[in-house]
Amino acid sequence: MATAKDADRVRPALTLTKEELEVEVPEPRLNWMNQWREWGVRVKPGEKGLTLGSLNVGLYGEIPMNWPDRSRNPRGAIGVTGTPPVAIQIKDKVDLWAPCAAELYEEAIQRRWAPATDVDWTAIHPLPEDIERAICQVCTEICQYAIIDVEVITNWQHQMAYGYHEVKQFLATTTLDATRRHEAFRKRALVNGGGLGYEGPCQVSRLLLESSGGWTETVTGLVLVRAMFTQMMIRYLTRFAYNGVERKIYECVTQDLARLITYGIEHLKYALAHAPEKQGSILTTLAIGFRMFNRDLRDPVLREALAIVFGGGIAGARSEGMHVFYEMLDEYVEELLNTCQYLRLPVAIEQLPKVFQKDQRSLPGE
Amino acid sequence: MDQETHNGAEFDLDLGWMEKQGEWGTHAEPSKNGLTLADIQVGSYAEAPEESRNLSGRPRGAVPRPGSMPIGNYTVRTKSEIWLENASFLYEEALQRQWSSATDIPWDTIEPLPDDVEQAQCQMATFLTEVEFVAGDVPSRWVSKTSPDFYEARNVLMAQVMDESRHMDVFRKRALANGGGLMRATGATAGFVGGIDLARDFTEMSSRLHLSGEGAVLTIFRMGELMAYNDAEKAIYRLCAQDEARHVAFGVMHMRYMAANAPERREEIESYLDEAEAGMLTDAANPAGQLNQTSESLSIMLGGGRKYFDEGFRKLVSIRKRQLQEYQKRVTSAGFGDRFKNGRSRLGQMMANVAN
Repeated sequence: MATAKDADRVRPALTLTKEELEVEVPEPRLNWMNQWREWGVRVKPGEKGLTLGSLNVGLYGEIPMNWPDRSRNPRGAIGVTGTPPVAIQIKDKVDLWAPCAAELYEEAIQRRWAPATDVDWTAIHPLPEDIERAICQVCTEICQYAIIDVEVITNWQHQMAYGYHEVKQFLATTTLDATRRHEAFRKRALVNGGGLGYEGPCQVSRLLLESSGGWTETVTGLVLVRAMFTQMMIRYLTRFAYNGVERKIYECVTQDLARLITYGIEHLKYALAHAPEKQGSILTTLAIGFRMFNRDLRDPVLREALAIVFGGGIAGARSEGMHVFYEMLDEYVEELLNTCQYLRLPVAIEQLPKVFQKDQRSLPGE
Repeated sequence: MDQETHNGAEFDLDLGWMEKQGEWGTHAEPSKNGLTLADIQVGSYAEAPEESRNLSGRPRGAVPRPGSMPIGNYTVRTKSEIWLENASFLYEEALQRQWSSATDIPWDTIEPLPDDVEQAQCQMATFLTEVEFVAGDVPSRWVSKTSPDFYEARNVLMAQVMDESRHMDVFRKRALANGGGLMRATGATAGFVGGIDLARDFTEMSSRLHLSGEGAVLTIFRMGELMAYNDAEKAIYRLCAQDEARHVAFGVMHMRYMAANAPERREEIESYLDEAEAGMLTDAANPAGQLNQTSESLSIMLGGGRKYFDEGFRKLVSIRKRQLQEYQKRVTSAGFGDRFKNGRSRLGQMMANVAN
């Protein structure tokens, strides 16, 4: 055991003034000593270091279904009572929990990146003007998505109970991810002779920001509609990347978004398993989300910009590029339906607006 | 790809959006630190408006879409309310200096400590776990209310939220890593009038959070070597101090900008500082303050055990002085140094009574 004497070896001296040395020392009350709910905990680092999840041992690992305490008492500590509450509204585990939150939190930290230095910005080269304009437009819209993601999540975070700190902490990583996403795509738009483009339509964003009744419903729109579509778009952009700069950004953003999607799906899974009555509001939110998304897609800007990127220019956009766009949309719908199946949500393709139904969509030449 | 099935028919394109683009021909160049936020402040993209009319989450510099709905609900739309000159630098530094409490702390250097010292460490870790995330919750709430035209400031605040999250977890880890546990919370961040949570104005919040609250904690972290018993604890305090210094810098630089650009709000800010000073040693959010739960645990840590409490308390008094001195320097740097000369500040009196 290390002793106080050992401690002196590692603790440097602080030179006190004469006045400080003569300070009259009050008798300590020490009424805080020997006050704990569980003592003798010794969590050891594992292969991945000392992780947040590994702390969930004994009483510290008991995560109650309800956390009525509206203060910042850490889970497992002796709480203070009688203090004015802070504005915590989400107090039930079912309303925010995902069993993987602690792991995702540590993963986010391990996979941190910096657009300034992790992207080799010198690997970019001038592109034909139509392609550069299209990429800049796509960047503009992804920036806007990221800005809204930050606002949506930060609007909820402070309302979440401290007993579920793993989720609050994970969400802190997602807002930094979204901040970095905005940064990376803004940088890409401004680095290669282009600039930012035209503001995107706002119906899905409106749904996300106005979905203030429940975090689970917000997650439904944020993850199943916005994030999964963005992820699919980035996946296709990776296939059609024009340089190493874009590839690197897409690769890093894909990882970041994957964590948000994982949290979202696992939260919905947890919520549906523990509160099956939530299914109705999740399905309704999803239906509204798709109506909003449909309205956004009626706007040609993002569709045409992506088609130009995928088709290698305006000429290619009119044929191959636009077909790739719809292939991307179909793949997104397929993933969404698979996810709904995993969540046991009864969603069929026929329920979606026609633009999302391959067989119902009218294309030129048909 | 099934384009053959479409008889080679082509899609009509509108392409009108290609004429609706922000300033064109931008070639931001990477500098020695990579392509930083500062490097992309080129042409009109560098211009943050004095008053933001962006209510729809549009990236600054993009062309507004007529008919966009005002979905943003931003209450912070005046530049002086949130701006600081070095936000780009602080943000990039924050990204470069992110660390992992799981793998960057040498947890294996922790060895069993005498019970009184372990209890003191765990009490302090409980307190820090409790208070650190108020500095995450509150800035995050403000970000959602701030126009994205001031994205540089928003970015720094988002990096802060991440930092605070890590602080919350590293102190929880410390409490549970060495045969101890969490102890008694203090209620230091409850919803009291004048508390960080309740501020209705960003600058008011920043003066409480960044300048006085985190400033006081920064002094403690900087003295971390004095209360660390092993390399793990040293690393914790050192890394947290690095993060906290950025948060305090945000507050100082924001207040400096405010002082220079919104002189009509000067008196109001002086009032925030009056309030901050009044609570500096009495407020439970300062672990070196008068709350016995934290000040006694710090004294035990600083002294080297219960037996050396007196020695530890004297060191604590020295730290309190340092907190006040550093606060004075920050406020002076922010452009409010006159208060220390014209008798408005109570700091002199507080310095004389620092042992009480």
